[in-house]
Order: sequence, then C-alpha cells, then structure tokens
Amino acid sequence: MPENTDAIVRIRQFILQRFPLAKRRKVTDQDNLLESGVVDSLGVLELVTFMQQEFSVTVNDEDLTPENFQTIECMAQFVARLALQSGARE
Amino acid sequence: MDFLIHHMLRNSAATYPEKEAVVHGSRRLKYREVADRCASIASGLRSASMQRGDRVGIYLDPSVEQVLSIFSVSQGGGVYVPINTVLVPEQVAHIARDCGMKALITTPDKLATLAPALHDISSLQFFVLTDPPDGNVQSKPCHALDDWLRLPVAEQWSDWGISKDLAAILYTSGSTGKPKGVMLSHANVMAGSTIVSTYLGISDRERILAVLPFSFDAGMNQLMTAFEHGATIVLIKFVFAKEIINALLGEHITALAGVPTVWSLLANGGIVKHKFPELRYITNTGGAMPQAVLNVLRESLPTTKIFLMYGLTEAFRSTYLPPEELDRRPTSMGKAIPDTEILVLNEHGGRCEPGEVGELVHRGPTVSMGYWGNREATDRVLKPNPLLPPELGDCEKVCYSGDLVRMDDDGFLYYVGRRDTMIKSSGYRISPTEVEEVLFQTGKIRQAAVIGIPDEVLGQTIKAFIVAKDGAPLDCDAIQEFCVEKMPRYMVPKNFEILQELPKTSSGKVDYPALRRREGL
Repeated sequence: MPENTDAIVRIRQFILQRFPLAKRRKVTDQDNLLESGVVDSLGVLELVTFMQQEFSVTVNDEDLTPENFQTIECMAQFVARLALQSGARE
Repeated sequence: MDFLIHHMLRNSAATYPEKEAVVHGSRRLKYREVADRCASIASGLRSASMQRGDRVGIYLDPSVEQVLSIFSVSQGGGVYVPINTVLVPEQVAHIARDCGMKALITTPDKLATLAPALHDISSLQFFVLTDPPDGNVQSKPCHALDDWLRLPVAEQWSDWGISKDLAAILYTSGSTGKPKGVMLSHANVMAGSTIVSTYLGISDRERILAVLPFSFDAGMNQLMTAFEHGATIVLIKFVFAKEIINALLGEHITALAGVPTVWSLLANGGIVKHKFPELRYITNTGGAMPQAVLNVLRESLPTTKIFLMYGLTEAFRSTYLPPEELDRRPTSMGKAIPDTEILVLNEHGGRCEPGEVGELVHRGPTVSMGYWGNREATDRVLKPNPLLPPELGDCEKVCYSGDLVRMDDDGFLYYVGRRDTMIKSSGYRISPTEVEEVLFQTGKIRQAAVIGIPDEVLGQTIKAFIVAKDGAPLDCDAIQEFCVEKMPRYMVPKNFEILQELPKTSSGKVDYPALRRREGL
C-alpha cells in the first residue's frame, strides 16, 4: 500500500525519537511494541496526540485498542483508515 | 501476635488457606501456596547470606514473583526496596548504591539491561532471577527463585526483627537532587494497612485490582490491605483503559485505587459504556482528580463509593474525603485518616485559623523513619511536634509535608499548592533539579529551569526554559531526544522555550515564581 509508506516513515521516525527502547532494540515495523513494553499507557497518549496533529485525524476512545497500536505497521494502517473515514465525511 | 509484615500473610494463610490470594493473568495462587513459597524463598535468601536489615531490591513488573519477593524478604529479616520498572538503569543504580543494596531480585532480561550500570556497586553481592539465567555470565552469583521454591518449609521459623525495624525503603523525589529513600518500619506499613482498611471497610470478600506500582506507597498499601484481611489481589500491567475495564468485569473486582491519570484514561476510554455493580469502591490519590473526570465517574459508577485520598510517602497516607461528603465538598482532600491528626501550621509553628493557608503537618503512627542515609534531609521533614507541652520533650516527630492547605470551619482540608518547586505528573513526584541536571548533560546548555504546567490528564506536564552556551543555536527536538534516553517518560519535558537569560532572584538563584508568572500561573 503505497499511501501507507509515508505514514510508516513518519510514525517510525517519531517512535525512534520519543521511545528510547525502540531505538535501543532497533525495532522493525512489524515488532510488537506493546508486549515488549516499548510503548506504555502514557506513550499511547503521546502517539494519539502525534497522530491527530501530524495526520489531521480524530482518534476516538473506541479506537484505543492493541490492534491499532501494537506495531508501526498497524498504526500506519489505522491512520490510513481514519483518514479515509474523515475524507468520506467531508 | 502479628507485628511484622509477613505475619499478616501467615495469619491469612491460617484462616483462609484455600482462598485465592494473588491473581496474575492465568496464574492463581491460594494463601497456603503463597505462604509456603514465601517461607521457602525466605530460607533461600538466608542461605544466600541475607542478614537482618539487608536491603534487597525488587525490580519486577506486576507478577506473582513480585508479591512473593516482598513477603519473602520481610520473612527472611531483610528490607525490601521495590523499584519501578519504568526507571532507567542509571536510576536503578542510584537506588542500589544509595541504600547499599545487597541483593536484587529481577528477570534475566532486565538484569542484562541493568548489569553495565550495576557492575561497580560493591555492596551488591548476589542476584535472584525469576527465570532460568539466559546464559549471560554475570560477575556475581545468580540464584534461581525456582530452585529455592524446592527448599523444604521449616517447621519452626524464627523471626529476627521487631515492629520497630526497617521493613521497606520507597524511593521518591523531592524538590531537589536525586530520589531519596523513605524508610518505613514494619509498624508503619501495618498501621497504614489497618487504618486504610478501617475507613474503606476492607474484608476478606474484597477483590482488589492493583494498577499502581508497589514502589508507590498507595500501591503497596493495596497489597498489604489485601493480605491483612485475606482478600484477593489481582495484578495487571495495562496500556489501554479497556484492559482495566476487562479486568474489572472479568475478575469481579470490588476495589480499585488509581491516580488522576488512570481515571482520565478510564473516563475517556469507555467506562461509561459498561456497568460495574460489583465495584464497591474506588480511591484516588497522587493528585487532585479533575472535576470533569470526577463527574464522569460519578455518573458511570452510581453504586460505587468514591474516596478522594491524600498522602505523601514520608507519612504514608494522611487524609480522605468520605464519599458522603463528595456533593458538599467535591474539591476537598478530606480530613485526617483514623488514629492520625493533621495540623495546619503557620511559619511560627502555631495553628492556623480556619481559612488561613499553612503547611500540612502529619502526626500519627504512619510517620516514616525518615530518608535512608540522609539525616539532613530527614531533619527538614521530620521535626519535633511544636504543639506538645515542653515536659514531653522531643519524644515525637511529626511530618512536614511541604503542601500548603487551608482548613474550613468543619475541619475539612483544601489543597492550595507546594511550598517548594516539586512537580507532580501522572502521580509521580519529580524534582526539577534532577531534570535540569540531565539537560546540562547535553553540554549545550548554560542555564536550565523546569516548572510544572497544569494538564487535564497528567496533573502537570514539564516545561523547560533553557539558555544556550555561547549563544549557540539550540535544537529542542534533539535535546528532548537526549532526555528520552536518560529519563523515564514522566520526567521528560514536553515543551521547551529558549531564553537569553533566566530570571534571577536578588540572591542570584533562579526565580521560579517569575517563570510561572510568565506562563500565567
């Protein structure tokens, strides 16, 4: 999915910058960041703020699930889905 | 007679041997099993040369082993030092060095991360690992918890300590310097447990969900109240509010303690969509609960009692607001817990009039033994009770909280602010100087000062004011990235502002009030 590549890059960059364990463990786009403790509850809040600002999407409370946040790839797909939804609404 | 922490376990194991004591995921241990395992591990610790009063660090995520470790160290006659696993290796090393730690209980994975930071700590003589070692050779002996579990349980157990002895050291931050170790005696911890369970009405029927770390006094107290009464404690590590909600429902939880951040997550994370008829009470501590969050909780939990509490590690637990007062005084921090007196004192050590702002001073059986190895800091916080008649001498120490409060005509207290510059974020106490020291470590900054900015979810977030060395341009993103490497997330400044010069007081110190005024605070 080419439209996801850009999101993956931006999310990966943010995670490497803000989550020290991610850098130390050299995480890949498919690594589970929740189980490994790289992203904790406060980390999710930071990611939500980042996604909303960076991709102009709205994250609702029902979106806060492991499925949407466990890997960088999942996050990129999640953001793409949100963008599609808000595009459909406009 | 029960006078040591593990006596509470012994007592509950005798009364409720087949009752569920600890639950973590699919693991469920009964009181009999917990007591037997703790006795075995205590023997193991003694055989590995743990002496009376030796400090044993526990660096574990929420787990059955974490609970076993706490009670085993107590039973073996040692002092347990629970360490939050969000801390970075350098901070763990500070704690180990500061308390002269003799042993550390952790996992092989965690030890691999910590080992480089711990290698030069001479007091540290052995490690205890919860899983078989992963082949990494350590410079010190490693014992396996599993091996000790096979040790026979001694028929006659002899305790070494009395209730006055040190039981635990909880590391916490003040307004300056590195974290200090608050010393709690067995009597302190047990008094805290009995007092809190009295006003919360805790019985053996309770199923308590522990989401707060045991390195935090209120978190540890949940464990103690459970074991004192033969209740069940359920441990989880959560990332999403949904995980807490699922545990509340799936484990039939009756009691939950949280800090404001936990309640904000729950209020924004779908708590309104469920019903929790089994949840008997919730308690908030570690900062004021935002009124909007409180309103959501009151609406979503109509049958649950909500207790707003206040405490500081140095005096364990101090005040609570009875649920029936919530309507009348939703912004109050309540009044003294049982067997405790809360004084509001002015600068001369006299009592404040109702409405007058003074320092909250705590008097009672949970006043801690002070800071480990730091008499100077202890003397600033624990002082002779100024209201006692002189004939009694200095027989009693009271705890000066550093929190400014006022009391209303009915004796209810209201939080006003801090005497010092300490910051509180998501329940954690943060010393500005500790953050500033890390900023200086970048080598790019000449002056730095951090302050707390009010935040709906976190209580406060950190803003850093920095002045560049030689006027060189500063890259705030790079500085933040540096901070993220050196500190846990809750300590990292969220915002940066570059100044030409920091405002100073007439004595040349950083003028923190001026920085706060800049932010309209």
